Amino acid sequence: MLEISDLTVAYGGVVALEHVSLSVPEGSITAVLGANGAGKTTLVRTISGLVKPRSGSVMLGTQQLVGRSPEAIARLGVGHVPEGHGIVSELTVDENLRLGGLWRRDRADQRVAIEEAYELFPPLRVRRAVHASSLSGGERQMLSIGRAMVARPTALLLDEPSLGLAGGLLAQIMQRLVALVTERKLSVLLIEQNARSALSVANQAVVLSLGKVELRDTAERLAGDDALRHAYLGF
Amino acid sequence: MHLFAIYTVDGITNGMVYAAVALALVMIWRATRIINYAQGAMAMFTTYIALIVIRHGSPYWLGFVVALATGLVIGAVTERVLVRPVESRPPLNAVILSLGVLILLEAIAPMLFGGQTQSFPTPVSNIDFSAGGTTLDFSPFDLFTVGAVLVAMLLLFLVFQRTTLGLRMRAAAFNPEIARILGIRVGRMLTLGWGLAAVLGALAGMLAAPSVYLYPSNMDEVLVFGFTGAIIGGLESPVGAVAGAVGVGLALSYVSGYIGSDLAPLGGFVILVVVLMLRPQGLFSFGRQRQV
Amino acid sequence: MSSVLRNSTLVRHGLFFLALAGVLLLLTSFVFDPYTNYNVTEVAIYAICTAGLTVLTGINGQVSLGHGALMMIGAYTTSVLLTWHPDLPLILMLLASIATTAIAGAIVGIAGARLRGPYLAGATLALAVALPQVPSHFASVFGGNQGLNVPTPSPPAFLGGDFSPEEWLAWITLAAAVITFFVLANLVRGAIGRRFRMVRDNEVAARLSGIDVARTQVLAYMISAACAGLAGSLFAYWVTVTSPSGFTLNLSLSLLTAIVIGGLGSLAGAVIGSFILVYLPVWTGGFASSLNLSSNVANNVPLAIYGIVLIVAILVFPRGIAGGIASIVRGAGRIVRSSRGPTALPAAPESPSQ
Repeated sequence: MLEISDLTVAYGGVVALEHVSLSVPEGSITAVLGANGAGKTTLVRTISGLVKPRSGSVMLGTQQLVGRSPEAIARLGVGHVPEGHGIVSELTVDENLRLGGLWRRDRADQRVAIEEAYELFPPLRVRRAVHASSLSGGERQMLSIGRAMVARPTALLLDEPSLGLAGGLLAQIMQRLVALVTERKLSVLLIEQNARSALSVANQAVVLSLGKVELRDTAERLAGDDALRHAYLGF
Repeated sequence: MHLFAIYTVDGITNGMVYAAVALALVMIWRATRIINYAQGAMAMFTTYIALIVIRHGSPYWLGFVVALATGLVIGAVTERVLVRPVESRPPLNAVILSLGVLILLEAIAPMLFGGQTQSFPTPVSNIDFSAGGTTLDFSPFDLFTVGAVLVAMLLLFLVFQRTTLGLRMRAAAFNPEIARILGIRVGRMLTLGWGLAAVLGALAGMLAAPSVYLYPSNMDEVLVFGFTGAIIGGLESPVGAVAGAVGVGLALSYVSGYIGSDLAPLGGFVILVVVLMLRPQGLFSFGRQRQV
Repeated sequence: MSSVLRNSTLVRHGLFFLALAGVLLLLTSFVFDPYTNYNVTEVAIYAICTAGLTVLTGINGQVSLGHGALMMIGAYTTSVLLTWHPDLPLILMLLASIATTAIAGAIVGIAGARLRGPYLAGATLALAVALPQVPSHFASVFGGNQGLNVPTPSPPAFLGGDFSPEEWLAWITLAAAVITFFVLANLVRGAIGRRFRMVRDNEVAARLSGIDVARTQVLAYMISAACAGLAGSLFAYWVTVTSPSGFTLNLSLSLLTAIVIGGLGSLAGAVIGSFILVYLPVWTGGFASSLNLSSNVANNVPLAIYGIVLIVAILVFPRGIAGGIASIVRGAGRIVRSSRGPTALPAAPESPSQ
């Protein structure tokens, strides 16, 4: 369970997030939607520790995340799939995957976890010894997600995974993920500009606008209610 | 022709010493985007400590190990205490900081060790081999110099490419933010990187001291030539750094032999400038175009 | 409208420096003893060089570790010319040194125009290490390691027969310094200074607004080199023997220390830094001998202090002490605010890059 309470973040005078609260229950996907500049990426970066909030709290289960370093937060079980996938292009696919769980002590389980990542995304297995720089956009996104999964996180933050991906590809990737989400009781926060595809996999949806929470609802209701969708998401 | 052979051997041996410095500079650059101008002075310092150990009756090898170990500590402490605060600030700050360390070390050294020029022992003979009546143009120490640097390079390669520690260090260097969100303690990796680089520097100091002698600014030229080699190689490529440094060593040896030893550093400067004007990113730098 | 303003800046500067010159004249004539005049001359010489250097590094953003080498070019130009024709007038020697060093600066500037940050620093470092060895090689021209002797300029007749040459040299040097600072002060406030700053702050934006970046960089280098050349020439007269040992890497590092102490980009700071450069060894020397410290320690105390100062200054006052007084105040305000405020790690979207 990822619990964000009253989070306020400001960069040098500009308030990016204002009193944002939301919960991401276990075994579910919460979509965070909104226009560019609404604060979505800031939210993710604050949770993973790259940005320090002015006030508020982020709880992963019973652990307070605010104030901890990004590495400490990762080690507590937060997997962050950053915007633009963030693979390390100088390393091979396999090395990128291994990076995900290097901090874990259980080496045997690590190898199992890496195998599972290859199971999740078979196209990666063929290219495991290849430098990550030569992967296609879709493969990079798979690598990034697989890498985050290798650490066996309890919470997963996905920042705009659809960027640069053809719609069908994202759906495929997300489908594979959805099964894992329920099975492993992951708390998934899905940041998306592509609201349509996000709503098709999410359980809950939150709409951010200029740093504030504008709307909170189940994905089903939001996707089904034309007026609501139109007003907040523009389609 | 015989002179050419001598100059070539000298060039390669010196070049390998510059290569150790060049490698150290490249390691630090890739990890923290900083040029450690104090690398030479740190090496001078560790060499002095080795000399003290040796003068107290210990064998050369103990002094050697002490020098490398001290290097590790100096490098790591410098990063953790002095460099960490400037890593995220404009590059000019790091330049000034490392110059400050350079000045400080070169000022403290004569206070602690005396300012006069001292000779430095070699572990093996420095006299050219003779085989069947003729003298060859290289000595056991020349072989040792080349060999030691090659071994160091091999060890570093193995650590970086074949160990998880090396993987972590590479990730921390290539993309520190991503490494962080993957749970890697980037700070520790940087400290270790500086420490290992300083070990390379200490090695260079030990290898250079017998020929340039030991005095507080003895490593200034070695640093400059190592830097030149690293720049020629492009600062991103360890292989390029070594190749560049050996190239510099050879070029300087020829200039020194055929024209005059006073002009060798000027020759180095000219080479550096020519390379930078033709290919500002260095000869071996492909793809990753850094802000030159 | 703007030309009126510009003229008034010029007039203001002109009056200020004229008054300053007058004060210095009085001080050197009636207040200072010969030893102080000697030191003041040295301060002025360094000030000329550091003024140019602080403009180059602080305002234009280019690092130079080679200004000691540039001073050397100026010094040797004067010394070589005087060795051939000892009667050449001083003003000609100053101009010749300015010219040769400016040309050298242009060459370095052109070579360095595409270099930034550590690459430029390294190239100038190589120059600083390499150039002092050239006189040793061409010993017949440059006098080798013993160097060349330079006669002290004799005061003109109208000042009277017993006017001390030290005071005359002090006057010349101070006049040169005043003129240099006047020129630089106007330059810094004018269009050229603006161009320097724009290129330093954002090269891409500068280029987009039509500034020829390469030419700007070369100009900045030439100007600072000209200052170094003038300083070098006066240095030759002041020290009377021009030899390689006077222009080691330490000189370049000391000059850099001086501008950091004084605040990068601050002309007044250049004077402060030069003052410390000259008087610190004097003070520590006296202090050391009163403690009976060995010469190994005593001679190196100033250098150790420079090293510590550089390290501390960069860690505590990233913009040097002259800029540091302002930034202490601002920094205190920031500390108060940031105890509640946010801090973003450097990878945050809006963080400025160099």
